Amino acid sequence: MRGDEGGGRRSSQRWRCGSLVGAALAVAVAMAQAQPPAPVVAAASDLSTALPEIAAQFTRETGDRVQFVFGSSGTLARQVRDGAPFELYLSADETYVADLASAGLTRDGGVLYAIGRLVLFAPTGSPLVPSRGVDDLRRLLTERRLTRFAMANPTHAPYGRAAEAVLRGRGLWAQLQPSIVLGENVSQAAQFAVTGNAVGGLIAYSLALAPGLRDRGTFALVPDTGHPALRQRMVRLARAGPVAERFYRYLQGPHARAVFERSGFALPR
Amino acid sequence: MAEAGLHVRLRQLTPVPLDVEVHCAAGEVLAIFGPSGSGKTSILRAIAGLATVAAGHVRVDGTTWLDTTSGIDLPPHRRAVGVVFQEYALFPHLDVRQNVMIALWHRPRAERRARADALLDTLRLADRAERPIADLSGGERQRVAVARALARDPQVLLLDEPFAALDRKLRRQLQDEIDDIRASLSIPVVLVTHDFGDVVRLASHLLLLHEGRAVASGPLHALASRADLPWLRDQVGLGSVIDAVVHAVDATRGLATLASAVGTLVAPSGSLVAGMAVRVRIPAREVILASEAPSGLSLHNVMAGTVLGSVDDEATGTVAVQVGLGSGVVLAEVTRDAIARLGIAPGRSIHALVKSVSLEVRRTQGHT
Amino acid sequence: MDWSALQVSLSLGVCTVVLLLPAGIAAGHWLATHRFRGQALVEALVAVPLILPPTVLGYYLLTLFGARSPLGAAFERLVGQALPFSFAGLVVASAIANIPFVVQPIQRGFEAVPPEVREAAACCGLSPWQRFRLVDLPLAWPAVLTAAILTFAHTLGEFGVVLMVGGNLPGRTRTLSIAIYDRMQAFDDRGAATMAAVLLAVAVTTLVLTSLLAPGRARRG
Repeated sequence: MRGDEGGGRRSSQRWRCGSLVGAALAVAVAMAQAQPPAPVVAAASDLSTALPEIAAQFTRETGDRVQFVFGSSGTLARQVRDGAPFELYLSADETYVADLASAGLTRDGGVLYAIGRLVLFAPTGSPLVPSRGVDDLRRLLTERRLTRFAMANPTHAPYGRAAEAVLRGRGLWAQLQPSIVLGENVSQAAQFAVTGNAVGGLIAYSLALAPGLRDRGTFALVPDTGHPALRQRMVRLARAGPVAERFYRYLQGPHARAVFERSGFALPR
Repeated sequence: MAEAGLHVRLRQLTPVPLDVEVHCAAGEVLAIFGPSGSGKTSILRAIAGLATVAAGHVRVDGTTWLDTTSGIDLPPHRRAVGVVFQEYALFPHLDVRQNVMIALWHRPRAERRARADALLDTLRLADRAERPIADLSGGERQRVAVARALARDPQVLLLDEPFAALDRKLRRQLQDEIDDIRASLSIPVVLVTHDFGDVVRLASHLLLLHEGRAVASGPLHALASRADLPWLRDQVGLGSVIDAVVHAVDATRGLATLASAVGTLVAPSGSLVAGMAVRVRIPAREVILASEAPSGLSLHNVMAGTVLGSVDDEATGTVAVQVGLGSGVVLAEVTRDAIARLGIAPGRSIHALVKSVSLEVRRTQGHT
Repeated sequence: MDWSALQVSLSLGVCTVVLLLPAGIAAGHWLATHRFRGQALVEALVAVPLILPPTVLGYYLLTLFGARSPLGAAFERLVGQALPFSFAGLVVASAIANIPFVVQPIQRGFEAVPPEVREAAACCGLSPWQRFRLVDLPLAWPAVLTAAILTFAHTLGEFGVVLMVGGNLPGRTRTLSIAIYDRMQAFDDRGAATMAAVLLAVAVTTLVLTSLLAPGRARRG
């Protein structure tokens, strides 16, 4: 190298140092690009414990792998429309599936796989007593002990819409407005509910049963007459491949249904 | 036929007003002298190609570097010009040798290092060749700047106030070095300065610049012996500049005799050696005029000559008198009263008296 | 510890730097050595991503390149895959978001080269390209490295834009910062804590490296 008349000694040292660092990290580039192409399944957040369990058994039986992206059903549907490379979509609400189907983004109208339930959850140490039902919130309001209350965002999360319906039905919606904390999806709502700054929240039954939450509070089922049914529908998207197909069928099989039932869902007929 | 040397004509109104013509032949040192803001640096930058002018041309040895009428304007890296900047502008990330070598791209690769080392030798920098610039003293940095300018094999050497940042002793040392180098080159050298000492020491020609215009220009001897440059008198004081050769040195008496165009001069011997070329400045104030040769005075220099002319300055009440001695001219500054008392008029015989210690003598390489 | 997320984060950082650095050097040098009308506007545009909310950038990228837009559909036909929800999309988003982190330090680095030194280089017979390569770039190199490191660190911390444009696809667009968010939602506090510690360590290392390279300490001259 023309170090003589070109850069001084210290400059060329830094060239070398910089290139070494760059080269070492460039390995990460190569590695990140070489990923095994396991199909991506978009699923509503309330399935975040049930689905991995089902998938683990699926992999043990067939050797195929799937990957999950959890989020609110509405956000996932929008991402499908924007071209996200999902192969299956498990929604917590059928209308999103119907919309995607009519936009021609799915193989067919999909199939009902579970009915979701809403629970009232209170973390340990909270003044809220879920067994007394949603009306217990009214007591807390009168006693001025209601700090915050968590639920999913009704604009794009089905559990949020259900929660709003329940609260409106009991005449609590307006009064609770200043105290409501909205989660981007029902998982985030559950997180808010359990962290202690909230007296509790309206979250998915499946999440209340999940290991992360089960021993950290108490909960009670909300009567399902108080909100539109959480009919959870799943569908194969346009680019679903053979592994996705197999998983789709597996989700309708006996093992999967058993897991759904254990995890806080009701099964459709 | 190609004209040798540097020929420059510059005209512009902004940003600095200029209206000059500059000529410098190979081997000549042209000093451009003037106060700050007079446009000296602008002229240098125009020659180097660092600034352009509204109208004018720059021609070197027949090659056109700039000609506004035909649209030629070579960028600096295409002009074979060596520039020594006022603040040296050395490359801080390179050591001494690398600073010099970076100007040697025009030479074949195999030659570059040898050429750089030769230049460093000439400028007494051989043992500093691998030091970073930050380790150098002011005088050393100046020498690196000169070496770098010479490495370019320039057709013109430009020096922009090269000694401005140095103390008096260093200044004298480096003036000597520059003079030595100049003598070994045969290219035009243009020196911009506001210190007349540089001019006296190094220049063969002088251009006096004031607000972008030349007040006077020509060989240094001629300009220095003119009595009609009040501008020069106000800036520096009048005084003739004469080249001489040391004829003999008397060590016991501490005196040296110098042979020059104005006759024999006696000066303190100092470090002078017989045969040495020197330049002598005789400040006009130190010259006494006498109608006859005096006796009993300590003066060593009593010279007989003829009054050539005089110029009166009403403002100060002094008169500058040109005295022809031998084949040269010496200036004397006296009062109007003295003129009247001695009856000084052109053609009158007169004696010029100068103390030996009043002579400002410097060794030079000689000028053609 | 989600190793694939770490890989995605590191790759995103490296790719962003590799993509932006040459352009940043060219742009920084141009802005530092030229005076032109509208320069203030250009410099303001360069700085826009500093104050642009990441969601705004994410929104525009999704709208312009999403499957529903003509540009996005054309891109997908050409490359076989949509720009959003792909690693390439993340790189694009990250590159835009990091423009000021690359250009501004580099521009300052070139501005710190005294104009006289550049003029001296020209008078030494160096062409504009040689001046850039042998004088400007070596003198500004600490600033270039600082820009690269800052950009890398900033990319590691990106969240909003990456989430919107990338979609949190494991192994492809799920970066470490998103994985932390993911783990928290799954009540995996241990996993989240581990990954947060890793990101913190990287951030601190970055700051230490940057201060070691600071011009005041690096050059004695």
